[in-house]
Amino acid sequence: MKADDLQALKDAALTDACAAQTVEDLEKIRVKHLGRKGLLPEIMKSLKDADPAERPAIGRIANELKQELASLLESRRAAFQAQTACQTQAFDDTLPGQWRPLGTRHPISQIIEEAVRIFATLGFTVADGPDIETEYYNFDALNTPGNHPSRDTQDTFWLESGELLRTQTSPVQIRVMEEQKPPVRIIAPGRCYRRDTTDATHSSNFHQIEGLYVDRDVSMADLKSDISYFARQMMGPDVKVRFRPHFFPFTEPSVEYDFSCHVCGGKPALAGRGCRLCKNSGWIEISGAGMVNPKVFEKVGYDPETTTGYAFGMGVERIAMVKYSIQDIRLLYDNDIRFLRQLSG
Amino acid sequence: MKVPLSWLKEYVDLDVEPKALAERLTFAGLEVESLEVIGSDFKGIVTGEVLSIKPHPTADSPEHSALSQPAEPGNLLLCEVSNGKDVRRVVCGARNFSVGDKVPLAEVGALLPNGTTIEVAVIRGEASHGMLCAEDELGLSDDHSGLLILPPDTPAGTSLSKVLGPPETVLTLEVTPNRPDCLSLIGIAREVAALYGCRLKMPAASFQEEGPAIDTCTSVRVEDPEACPRYTARILSQVTIAPSPFLARRRLTLAGIRPINNIVDITNYIMLECGQPLHAFDQTLLNEGRIVVRRARSGERMATLDGAERTLAPELLVIADARQAVAAAGIMGGAASGILDTTRTVLLESACFKPAVVRKGSKQLSLSTESSYRFERGVDINLVDWASRRATALMTQWAGAKAAKGVIDVYPMEPKPRNITCRFDRVRQLLGVDIANDPIAAIFESLALPVVQRNGKSCTVQAPTFRPDLETEADLIEEIARMHGLDNIPARAPSHGGGVPADDRPTRAVMRCRSLLIGLGLSEIVNYSFVCEDLLNRIDTGAADRRIVLPRPISADHSILRPWLLPQMIDTLGRNRSRQIAEAAFFELGRIFLKNPAGALCEEEHLAVGLMGAVGRSGLEKRRPLREEDSFAWLKGILEALGAALSFPLHSPRQQDAVPGIALSPLPPGSAAPEGFPLHCFKDHCRMSIILNGENCGVLGLVTDEIRRDYRILEPVAVLEIRLAPLLRHAWETPSAERLPVYPAVTRDIALRVGKDIKHEVIIRTIWKMAPKELTDIRLFDIYKSVELGVGFKSVAYSLTYRSAERTLTDDAVNSLHECVKAGLRSELKAEIREG
Ligand SMILES: [Zn+2]
Repeated sequence: MKADDLQALKDAALTDACAAQTVEDLEKIRVKHLGRKGLLPEIMKSLKDADPAERPAIGRIANELKQELASLLESRRAAFQAQTACQTQAFDDTLPGQWRPLGTRHPISQIIEEAVRIFATLGFTVADGPDIETEYYNFDALNTPGNHPSRDTQDTFWLESGELLRTQTSPVQIRVMEEQKPPVRIIAPGRCYRRDTTDATHSSNFHQIEGLYVDRDVSMADLKSDISYFARQMMGPDVKVRFRPHFFPFTEPSVEYDFSCHVCGGKPALAGRGCRLCKNSGWIEISGAGMVNPKVFEKVGYDPETTTGYAFGMGVERIAMVKYSIQDIRLLYDNDIRFLRQLSG
Repeated sequence: MKVPLSWLKEYVDLDVEPKALAERLTFAGLEVESLEVIGSDFKGIVTGEVLSIKPHPTADSPEHSALSQPAEPGNLLLCEVSNGKDVRRVVCGARNFSVGDKVPLAEVGALLPNGTTIEVAVIRGEASHGMLCAEDELGLSDDHSGLLILPPDTPAGTSLSKVLGPPETVLTLEVTPNRPDCLSLIGIAREVAALYGCRLKMPAASFQEEGPAIDTCTSVRVEDPEACPRYTARILSQVTIAPSPFLARRRLTLAGIRPINNIVDITNYIMLECGQPLHAFDQTLLNEGRIVVRRARSGERMATLDGAERTLAPELLVIADARQAVAAAGIMGGAASGILDTTRTVLLESACFKPAVVRKGSKQLSLSTESSYRFERGVDINLVDWASRRATALMTQWAGAKAAKGVIDVYPMEPKPRNITCRFDRVRQLLGVDIANDPIAAIFESLALPVVQRNGKSCTVQAPTFRPDLETEADLIEEIARMHGLDNIPARAPSHGGGVPADDRPTRAVMRCRSLLIGLGLSEIVNYSFVCEDLLNRIDTGAADRRIVLPRPISADHSILRPWLLPQMIDTLGRNRSRQIAEAAFFELGRIFLKNPAGALCEEEHLAVGLMGAVGRSGLEKRRPLREEDSFAWLKGILEALGAALSFPLHSPRQQDAVPGIALSPLPPGSAAPEGFPLHCFKDHCRMSIILNGENCGVLGLVTDEIRRDYRILEPVAVLEIRLAPLLRHAWETPSAERLPVYPAVTRDIALRVGKDIKHEVIIRTIWKMAPKELTDIRLFDIYKSVELGVGFKSVAYSLTYRSAERTLTDDAVNSLHECVKAGLRSELKAEIREG
């Protein structure tokens, strides 16, 4: 074998490789030249018989042939494969994803669980009480005797047994304080019932979250601070709280509290066409609170001299409606899957 | 409580923007619900003098009835009215006026507050040049009973705005039940005076006593002084019943009370002014002209002023004459002794009744009045005589009455003054504000709460009788809080409390369960605790005697406390289906309510799950025909996944008898439902009881075709309901990690041809029964029927996993274990081993 012959062989092999039309052709060329019994091993074997002067040239060309041919075959094979894949599989990356969606947490549960979480960071734990209550826990122990007009504000579902459906979650306060000495820090979410005719903002069946903090030196400033913290966590970091004096039989002093409007930032005048949520007042009424009336402490056997505490209630539906811009409370009990998906959380 | 501002200003000098006042009152605890401006500049409306009144000449003739004017035939009048310069012919539908009266005349071109422009109108053939106005047409009230009659001395032509004065601002206050004193203008003025640092002005209550001595006119006997601690009576003779002065009628109207006549109006006027309800009797209509305050007699009846004939309950406190009840004390007077146009002698009652007595009476009669509302909350016993004198003074002025000499005042026991001590430190401690002693005492004084004693630590306040709400130190601290301003209470960093936290693992378990269900693709629903009886009966024919029925439901839809969750679950699925939603996967966590066999009312937390449509399939497979087995399998899968996630011990198949974990047991027709769970809504062949650790805790199954048809649900519906407490029993148990297996597992597949009625569970039980201890798992991976298998046969294929805890199993070892299993299947189930 001469160097020139080898050069011609190399050119022919590369030309063949370029002309190949299929992966199979490429494979044939590879076997013919580079295979175990192919031409190139033959050449390398016969190198010792070649003219010593030509040996370096033959070795070099043989090496070139091996490398260039292998590289050419590989790149052409890759090209063929890519082409085939495109032609046969038609991979459509725009098809919809295939996974079952998560379910949704009901907005009422979202508010309750969020409130539980927020107050847990302040050391509150959850307490519970029955929906079917006695008159004592729902009214009498809460300084709301039967002949007092303050009962009129809570039109009650009485049951034949003489029991009632609790009109508020406040009875849980009494149940907890009867069981436990101060300090007490609980929140109690639950259902309540009042004989309100159902409309866009009233429901005879609704949820409240009761809060109670009793210790030796609890003040109204603590109440304001904790509710403010809750408001910021629940509605947004800039939300503020204001108190208005009010009356509840089981707290003294009593307040109603408002959150500054999280939609217009409490500044409806700057909101262009005004703010629908807060009706341009900048504030949103939330619920009631106050310092536990010493008469309630007496009922549960706490010393009203050494003990002070605050209590608050909040309407869960009210907060949900305000937070999620829900126009009608009945949507919360309608359970339309499209509505629930909008507020999945 | 409606407060016309011009009236309020009679009792306190005040120069402040109405809006600012409203805000100030709200933040002092007197919430202003609304602020209305009533009246306008009444352009083009003048005082008209009625010169003549004739019936409308053609109003009676029926052929004109096609005209659009709404007045009824025969009711129209044709009037000539002077505007001071000209005479206008005006058609009018009202009847409450006569020639010479002054009435509002809206001239042609006038714009009424409701937006109507007055034009010349032809009414049943007669031209009307203007309109005579009632209060509603002037935007003063919603009274349309007749024309507004203006003061008779008003010159014709005077513009109406001059007669009525500028537009009036009326505040509506929400007065909380603890503040009866603020159910009066003077009470509110007292608050305003305290807030703005001005003086309260009490009106005059003096008059000449020109009549006979009162003892010669009447007597009062109070039989129940506890229920009626004070009763005063005055006699006024030579009374002339007439309309009240114009200003008084305007004020009553603005405050929401309809003027009647001067005597009745005065009782209402004084009640609004000072909060003391009064009652005026025509004394000549009282038997023997005297008063007895007593409890009603058994079966006693009385017609009240509202026209109703009422039977009086024996405990009801009544005002009676010598023979019979003439008023329900503090609630409403009787028709037989009321003021008539002919009344000449008035017995004026001003009294104090015990709040609880009036409240009970009001409930018994289902009758709540302005008077009972105030007595229930408590009137000022020391104001009773002042109110009587003030009313008497007005009666002498407005009705020309002669007051008898003296008063009958039955007031056996004046209450002792209540002294309440307030510690300054306690104020600061409870409110968390830094306020000095002096301002605290000053606030009390400003509210007309006299400080009778004071030292460096505390002060003692004498609670006046008009503030029955002030009983304890906390009540006084509230006064400080609201007057000092709640805005001045600082909001700091939140408090962080110590103490022993309650065990809230049950709550956390419920929250975890909710999250798991959401993770499984279910959406949470919340239904009312009330359920419709109809719905309940359709879905559940079960024990009606266990249901808790509301004695007075708001509506038939909400008449029963739900005894379980599934009726509403199915209803919710149906409601969604009716909105073109073909598939839904829901769960609800909620309380159910039942009477237990002993009749006690019980409540319990339950979980319900409902699946409708192809919820278990991905999008490309949604249209494949849906079989009931699919829905059932998805629901069962949810229960199994939930059980596993809630740390239920895995059902160990090797133990045939003991049943820890979650199991389902069929409930064939005729079998009893698990306690509390009716079965009516399930298909007979597909309903199971859910067994948790051996205990029946719920039901699971497919909803019947009839119920689905009712809701037009075409797809299978699978539902379950389960008691929550047993389901969460293990939820807060701490799992422990076990060593993972050291030696490799070997799997062998096996395909069997068996009778099509042989259930999966029978097969795997058979396998487990004879399984060598190296068998660790059996998985079904294929199931099919075909012609070549033969009618009545199916092929099922399982993958069996073998693993030894001691060594690596060789092929030969596994083969021989597998052979054992195959042999057993052949002999026990007559199975043909097709592969494996
Ligand atoms: Zn806003």
